[in-house]
Amino acid sequence: MRIALPAFVLLTWASAAGPAPVSAQEPAGADPSPHSEAVLVAETTSLRPGRPFTIGLHLTLDPEWHSYWKNPGDSGEATSIHWSLPDGFRAGGIQWPAPRRISFPPLVSYGYFDEVLLIVEIAPPAGLVPGDTVRLAGRADWLVCIEDCFPAEAELALTLPVSEAAPARDPATSALFDEFRGRLPIREPGWQSFARANERFYGLRIDPPDGRESRFAEGSAGAEFFASGSDVIDHAAEQRPDWDGETLVIRLARSAFATGTPDTLRGVLVTSRDAEGRATESFVIEAPTVLAGDPDRVVPDDASAAGGLGLGLGLLFAFLGGLLLNLMPCVFPVLSLKVLDFAGHADEGRTRAARKGVAFAAGVLVSFWALGGLLLALRAAGESVGWGFQLQSPLFVGAMAVLFFLLGLALLGAVEIGASLGRLGGLGAPPGETQEIAEGAAVRRSFLAGVLATLVATPCTAPFMGAALGWALVRPPLETMLVFTALGAGMAAPFLLLSLTPGLVERLPPPGRWMETLKQLLAFPLFATAIWLAWVFGLQTGVGGLTRLLVALLLVGLAAWVAGRWGGATAPAGRRWSARLAALGLGVAAALVLVRAVRQPPASVPADSVSAGPVPADSVSAGSISAWKKWTPARQSEVIAAGKPLFVDFTAAWCLSCQVNERVVLNTPEVRDAFAIRGVELLKADWTRREPEITAALAELGRSSVPVYALHAPGAEDPVLLPSVLTKQIVLDALDSQLP
Amino acid sequence: MPRSRIVLAFTVVAGVSLGMAAAACAQSSPAIGAPAPEFTLPDTYGESHSLADYRGEWVVLEWLNYGCPYVGKHYDSGNMQSLQRKYGEKGVKWLAIVSSAPGKQGYYEPATMNEQNEAHGQSALAVLLDPEGVVGRMYNAQTTPQMVIIDPDGTLLYNGAIDDKPSSRPASLEGAHNYLTAGLDEAMAGQPISVPTTKPYGCSVKYPG
Repeated sequence: MRIALPAFVLLTWASAAGPAPVSAQEPAGADPSPHSEAVLVAETTSLRPGRPFTIGLHLTLDPEWHSYWKNPGDSGEATSIHWSLPDGFRAGGIQWPAPRRISFPPLVSYGYFDEVLLIVEIAPPAGLVPGDTVRLAGRADWLVCIEDCFPAEAELALTLPVSEAAPARDPATSALFDEFRGRLPIREPGWQSFARANERFYGLRIDPPDGRESRFAEGSAGAEFFASGSDVIDHAAEQRPDWDGETLVIRLARSAFATGTPDTLRGVLVTSRDAEGRATESFVIEAPTVLAGDPDRVVPDDASAAGGLGLGLGLLFAFLGGLLLNLMPCVFPVLSLKVLDFAGHADEGRTRAARKGVAFAAGVLVSFWALGGLLLALRAAGESVGWGFQLQSPLFVGAMAVLFFLLGLALLGAVEIGASLGRLGGLGAPPGETQEIAEGAAVRRSFLAGVLATLVATPCTAPFMGAALGWALVRPPLETMLVFTALGAGMAAPFLLLSLTPGLVERLPPPGRWMETLKQLLAFPLFATAIWLAWVFGLQTGVGGLTRLLVALLLVGLAAWVAGRWGGATAPAGRRWSARLAALGLGVAAALVLVRAVRQPPASVPADSVSAGPVPADSVSAGSISAWKKWTPARQSEVIAAGKPLFVDFTAAWCLSCQVNERVVLNTPEVRDAFAIRGVELLKADWTRREPEITAALAELGRSSVPVYALHAPGAEDPVLLPSVLTKQIVLDALDSQLP
Repeated sequence: MPRSRIVLAFTVVAGVSLGMAAAACAQSSPAIGAPAPEFTLPDTYGESHSLADYRGEWVVLEWLNYGCPYVGKHYDSGNMQSLQRKYGEKGVKWLAIVSSAPGKQGYYEPATMNEQNEAHGQSALAVLLDPEGVVGRMYNAQTTPQMVIIDPDGTLLYNGAIDDKPSSRPASLEGAHNYLTAGLDEAMAGQPISVPTTKPYGCSVKYPG
């Protein structure tokens, strides 16, 4: 009795003074997922009839586990709440804090680590009785993942008293609501955004209001766009935000699962993050979208991305590149054969020599036009191809290996190639032959030699060629073809000059035994090229495929021998035709074996270990030796966002210059040490098999061929591109100047 | 017409066609309506299956991971197996592909995979093993399940989700619109597929690295 009275008074007094200070929550109860907890929390301690109030779903996750945003990205599932509310109550949609990128290459998802509060506004009806308590219930479903995923659900509820008094903030939850309200994307007037779309990309232009421009002044590399829909953009593709002082331009690759183009590109632009990578500031973006007229000019600065070469400089670079192609190991043997042919027929007369030279040049030009036209046609059809695309096809590589092998055999004299094939590049006719060759035949030979020389040149990218081609492929078709013409002209020029200048021709040594020796010697560079092509083929199709290629070479060699020995024009008719038939049969068998070889999947994916070259065992470094990692757009973004310096090596197995650069420069102890001391992250983008992401990345650097070497200094907007022929000094100087 | 001109024309044409053939052989992200990328994979018995082997038949590819709850939704209910049987009887070659890397969820050695297949009542024609993820990447397989329809000419007709309820709850099977069956029914009746692609849902494919 003594306690009861004061207690009664206290209670009465307390209830008269206002609603109970604590809102009652029912415990989370049976939470099937062991890696997360869910709880419904209210921002205020009471609710007022007719006045919306805020509650939230508070998810806490075990370390390293994550849950998903409204657009979960490539995989996963967004958290959802199914409400059971009393009559008259309506729940608004979930207000999602800005997400972060979660990457499990090659896939990227969007979500949250550690904890998240999903805020929901509830609108109560007006006719509620003060003093009643209201029970808000719901079932939350979410997916909690580390790499493997568990679906999770929880039956949750929250009770709040009804009161006419203005609801007070609950001190227990106010910090939580403040923090996550702060992470909601800001919807602010003054942001102007606009998107242009073509089949593969969105070019999103964002003009922030004046007060917000400082966000982008330092390191727009941190700005990232998260699309609201899950089938709009390719989540894993690299976005390259570009800030020019007024406008942010972001190129977004489209989702492979997109159907149609929405009228508005909606999403969230994250502009700053804290040390743990959580978004601290973000803005709502709703960009009206139009289809772009010019498919390649979605991002208006495409031209400047290529270095703004301009037509004149582009043509000059292409011409120089063509000239230098003559010195590349791919072209040199074939060209030497042509020169030999010249020397052997120095007595033919000026006109004949000139005609042959012109025919050769014509062959080269026509082939470059065909290649250029083919590239344009493929790009217009939506294929992401760049220079050297033909070598990404194992069938083509295998066929080229066969061709080189056969040519080498012919040079050695090991087989007697039939008349038409042997005339290629002046192979069949021994020097000083007395047989009258028709003018037309000689001209045709030279033309076909030009075609062969161009075919053979395709694996090599000479200095200047890379820049010229990259620029050319984003220009109107006419300019592209002009650049290809300049390239062909540069390549044909030295030989054409030789053929047109009588003085030079006469200076060649007179025919003699040396020609036969030289001819046989030149077989070996051709065999070496065949070996290299076989190696590329092996990378593309595995050891099984490579062995089949070797068998095909055997069959082809046999076919050529049979045709040469018994199928020649001088053999008796019966034997001749049966020999030719046999040779044809063998040739067909070889082709079938080659085709079967192409269909073999590679035994292992060598992309990581190939092109790497041996790691020098004696390399000393200040910290740990940084090994080459496989490049992905997600990895590149992460490294850049983390503020580390980055070096990307765009390479391919069939690119000779790339291989040379890697072995002779990039993998030497001095260069590796220089990288390691500065903590440079090394990524290798292997383009041996066509990868659209790499093609797109090359395009954004203004290139369409390999090699490309990109050095990203922390905080720098654009990477520095090193030349395609590297020396140690070039690399070391670049490191010194960019990363002192 | 002078012979040199003929040769010229021939060379140009040959060059262009060779280039086209080369480009066609090269891989690219699969486009709906374009030829489905060629592949060869072993099944759990070591037999090799190539897409080209099934030219002339309807082919369904199903990306599979027994450990994924979204795949579980379709298998625990018997939904997937019944579709496999139903369309198998209509002559559709249904190939399940496991692109999980060794050590990751969904990967099993062939013998264990056979046990898993038994336990789940797997009714596909074959379960193909793609531990390097090569074929998964070829088809842009992002999730399990993800479904692909290829017609008898080898054209890719559908690539995307199995149905329109991206949830792992078994109850979501009720009332779900199945894109795969709708697509197969339309295509096998000679009509164009009305929904040729959808964003697939499920667990991520466990690629290496």
